Amino acid sequence: MAVMVDITADLNDEDETGLVWTFLDEARDPTVIVPGAIVVAGDADAPAVVEVVDVVSKEAGDVVHLRILPGNIEDYAALVRRTLSAA
Amino acid sequence: MADELRPHVRHDVPPNDTTVVVRGGPDTADKLARHAVRTNRAYQLDGQPFWGVSVFLALDDLGDASLDGLLSGRLRTYRVVHTPTLEQVRAAGFEVLPTFRPPHFTLVVPDATPTTFERLLSALGPGVPNPYHERGRRR
Repeated sequence: MAVMVDITADLNDEDETGLVWTFLDEARDPTVIVPGAIVVAGDADAPAVVEVVDVVSKEAGDVVHLRILPGNIEDYAALVRRTLSAA
Repeated sequence: MADELRPHVRHDVPPNDTTVVVRGGPDTADKLARHAVRTNRAYQLDGQPFWGVSVFLALDDLGDASLDGLLSGRLRTYRVVHTPTLEQVRAAGFEVLPTFRPPHFTLVVPDATPTTFERLLSALGPGVPNPYHERGRRR
């Protein structure tokens, strides 16, 4: 399954918050990257479903903190197929 | 301007050379370069430009900072991981800096040339399957 992530990140990257971080300008559409949003982060080889925790303005740019959610992207795709097709 | 990394450098006892370095992959030289450039944008070290790539070290035999704990925890979304020893990484000329919260470390990349990233990729070794990757069984 081809995956197009919402925001590019190295999911190995953690900072002092203990959360994954990346820059907001690495998002395909920065307007969807808001606290509480559930998005796909990483890259096409290693995507993950994440929650946007916050966006922090720094001199180098706006930094997004992400919390990796349980399960993988195929689990979420199956959830959507199962529940929406049953409606 | 990039933030100063030094306040986030820990003073851990240096890990043994047999310690396993763990990094979610698969990596390529180009990917490593992109990640190191992101780190460079965010951080400087002692006021100087800094390039680095995040890794975790399997510091414990059990728990979250063990190899199994890392692969089944922080890195569970990765199908493929790189697991060289610290000795392999150091022998290739890369310093390992303890940064932020353990067991997070940063591999210091001395310069941002393609040759260096090819050397780093070689030091990380081949990607291997993560036995704990969640395989989407819950359908």
